[in-house]
Amino acid sequence: MRLFTGQSAFVAQRISALLLLACVAVVALRLAIGPSPTFAQWRAWAGQPLGGAVVLVLAGALFMHAWIGARDVLIDYVKPFALRLAVMTFVAAGLCVLAAWTAVIVATHAL
Amino acid sequence: MTDSQAVKRGTARPVFLDFARIRFPVGAIASIAHRVSGVVLVAALPFAVFLLGRSLEGEEAFSAVLGSARSIPGRVVLLVVAWACAQHLFSGIRHLLMDVGIGSSLNAGRASAYAVLVAAALVSVGVLVL
Repeated sequence: MRLFTGQSAFVAQRISALLLLACVAVVALRLAIGPSPTFAQWRAWAGQPLGGAVVLVLAGALFMHAWIGARDVLIDYVKPFALRLAVMTFVAAGLCVLAAWTAVIVATHAL
Repeated sequence: MTDSQAVKRGTARPVFLDFARIRFPVGAIASIAHRVSGVVLVAALPFAVFLLGRSLEGEEAFSAVLGSARSIPGRVVLLVVAWACAQHLFSGIRHLLMDVGIGSSLNAGRASAYAVLVAAALVSVGVLVL
């Protein structure tokens, strides 16, 4: 399955890692310096186009990172070709569904 | 060449699958922890997307999401996910630094492997206590 292989996967894995690292750092800092956000604050941030766009970019990085990592693990441990193809297809399809679901959530609340 | 052919020709690399004899230096444990935590996080993704949607639905759903993290099963899940998150982040940072040549000597690698394992355990317990 030639979906993110070799050097492009290596680079995408690291760029997405840095994005997600920045996201976690910001969220951890926000939770550390003040009280946890209320619904109104969360909604005000995530429920408008800019916040929604940030959520979408991070979700894109997350699903890409998840796919590259899951693919590496499956290639290492699932040896029979038919089984590997089946499991990879399942994981890839699952991640696609989740990505689409995330896009629907963002479109519903942030537009 | 299959493994059995390689064995007959005497060209097979030594394969030790005896778990009592395999040595697991701390770097190997940190490496496996990175993988295990990554797999846990992938498995948690459907729930994360579900909770994202719930948290934006309304005041009550938002409170329910936060409240579910306070229940006993919620705390168990939180502990596992917090560990996976912390472990994957810390060992990931370790890998990124090694990529650019920082801390890739044997001694530094061992020290940082201990550090990321301990730090992840401490953070996950900390998240549970808070």
